[in-house]
Amino acid sequence: MADPTNYHIVVIGGGGTGAALAYDLAQRGYRATLLERGELTSGTTGRHHGQLHSGARYAAGDRSIARECMEETRVLMRIAPEAIEYNSGLFVALTAEDEAFAETFVESCAEAGIPTERLSAEACLRLEPGLNPAIRCGVRVPDGTLDAWRLPLHFFAAARGHGALIRNFAPVVGIELDRTGVRAVRMRDLRSKREEEIGCDLVINAAGAWAGQVAGLAGVSLPLTPAPGSMLAVRKRLTNLVVSRLHPAGDGDILVPQRGLSIIGSTQWQTDDPDDVVPSDEEVEFLRESAVAMVPGFAEAPYQAAWAAVRPLAGASVDVEAGRALSRDFVTIDHGKNDGVGGLVSLIGGKATTLRAMAEQAVDVVGGLLDVSRECRTAEYVLPSHRAYYRNHATEPERSA
Amino acid sequence: MSERNRTVAVYRNREVGFQEFTVPENERTTVLDALEYIRARIDPDLMYRHSCHHGSCGTCGCAVDGKFVLSCLTRLGDLEGDVVRVEPLPTMDHIGDLAVDPTKFFEEFPEGLTYLRPSEVNAKAERPEDVAEYTRFENCIECGLCVSTCPVTADFTGPAALAAIDREIEKHPEREDEMLDLADGKRGAAACERALNCSRVCPTGVYPAKHIAFLNRKLGKRRAAEKE
Ligand SMILES: Cc1cc2nc3c(=O)[nH]c(=O)nc-3n(C[C@H](O)[C@H](O)[C@H](O)COP(=O)(O)OP(=O)(O)OC[C@H]3O[C@@H](n4cnc5c(N)ncnc54)[C@H](O)[C@@H]3O)c2cc1C
Ligand code: SF4
Ligand code: FES
Repeated sequence: MADPTNYHIVVIGGGGTGAALAYDLAQRGYRATLLERGELTSGTTGRHHGQLHSGARYAAGDRSIARECMEETRVLMRIAPEAIEYNSGLFVALTAEDEAFAETFVESCAEAGIPTERLSAEACLRLEPGLNPAIRCGVRVPDGTLDAWRLPLHFFAAARGHGALIRNFAPVVGIELDRTGVRAVRMRDLRSKREEEIGCDLVINAAGAWAGQVAGLAGVSLPLTPAPGSMLAVRKRLTNLVVSRLHPAGDGDILVPQRGLSIIGSTQWQTDDPDDVVPSDEEVEFLRESAVAMVPGFAEAPYQAAWAAVRPLAGASVDVEAGRALSRDFVTIDHGKNDGVGGLVSLIGGKATTLRAMAEQAVDVVGGLLDVSRECRTAEYVLPSHRAYYRNHATEPERSA
Repeated sequence: MSERNRTVAVYRNREVGFQEFTVPENERTTVLDALEYIRARIDPDLMYRHSCHHGSCGTCGCAVDGKFVLSCLTRLGDLEGDVVRVEPLPTMDHIGDLAVDPTKFFEEFPEGLTYLRPSEVNAKAERPEDVAEYTRFENCIECGLCVSTCPVTADFTGPAALAAIDREIEKHPEREDEMLDLADGKRGAAACERALNCSRVCPTGVYPAKHIAFLNRKLGKRRAAEKE
């Protein structure tokens, strides 16, 4: 068995996935360096909808993804409770079709281990008086609201506490190979405007919708289609619970309350350039109408912002409907086995909610490749606060979760 | 949606000063959208901080036409003048272009402050049995705009951290003594000059000046009680 301290692993991408990877690697004893081209979580992670997914939304489509969400929800509530408004969620039926879906919905949740509570329209309105009074019934589930920036910052703080080096404004511009595989990465330090070569034993590509570009630097083809989705926020908190439409996952069907805001999302389209994503007038109008249908007060609340975040869809030419089913899962790809480029692993997809589990799986794969047998222990400790990332991060003692 | 072009002058460094860029603009385009456009299409080296794009993370603060704002909530259409000037926040360490290092800002926050608070929404509504209390995150998104606009030049804990300390007392009265110790002393609440700039600039309605006044009142009461 090999000693992890002998290995230097470079993580490319400072979103939630990279944050969880850096922490997991450092906690298992690897030397870890994370490189992010801009500010931390300036890709998809900071901009997502902010829902802590119990998995209920995915249960009818895929039980195992739903089960994973539920498990990770429980873990995050233990290790990062201050990054979560945990007020539960309500799926509401607006049409007879929605109402008919309730049975399937509740059964699928049960199969995925997600507790539900069926509620009459009156009971729903007693919990959330702002709901459309015409709703037919509802189902309550253990959803919540995440702080999209502060949750990953908890992981970044823990990573630094364990000795990982986190570098922002550090785009990777090249991956150097030798006969066996990856030997180093080349990074452009935007602070000094100089290029640096960083030697390493293995690279984990966690560049999300940009992962195809990063793999390309090593000559590996990883066909991903950037699929942006838009959100609209208004300046009024209308509910305490996350409110979703009781129907198979679709567009504009989740209203997430956060601080003093209400945020409706999302949509999905496809593009070639993950850096060119701006919501259209039509989307903003569609989102507003979708929100109003569930919570009428949304119509009068003042506009705060409309923006988009980008999913990486596997396969270059998948259509949108197939894409929706595909995009929820995550994969760890060993490019040594797949493409003959050793020392390169990609971790793509998933959800902000499952960041920890994604990292666990990928670092297990890395352990297999490097012959290191260290168990993942990231579910066992309470993470340091988000502020600790910028403070005396090394001094906060570890507390069991 | 009508599109037109706008000139944005972005601070780069001491040698270059401001550099002008032309960006497309519609009714919703924000200063942050403009920066994103510049990085994607014109200069991939441009450094600026951003994450959520909707006023929740607090990373994107900067000075736009001399005012301290969140770039993600500032629409070009609401700004007068042909050229929009964007500069980094002056009170944090400058690391390049518009990007600053917020370490000093965060160091003022004592360890162990909570970030969740009870939700004030639908206070009279029924609550499920398994939800002990409806909660939400604090209003303060830790953007540092208040610190940038504060005229106090003496060494000072600053409005954001003091407001957070007072919020902690409001949520957890049992921590009052411990919190007041942190707000006491020359660089604490007493250093406030009551300019109220912080309350005016805050994008999320924290009203730090009000909390500093509350702290001074609580400190005064404690001192009076100690004398008795
Ligand atoms: C519209 C939408 C809504 C969503 N809502 C939710 C939700 O409510 N709840 C939930 O749990 N999940 C949600 N998700 C999913 C979630 O946002 C993602 O699964 C998660 O953020 C992915 O994180 P990541 O770290 O893999 O990718 P990213 O956050 O995109 O991180 C990749 C990083 O790599 C960086 N990078 C790119 N190229 C380079 C380079 N050359 N060198 C260095 N760095 C580089 C990028 O700047 C970026 O920061 C949503 C997704 C979308 C699209
Ligand atoms: S008090 Fe307001 S201005 Fe100051 S850091 Fe918090 S949110 Fe920003
Ligand atoms: S980008 Fe998060 S507050 Fe502006």
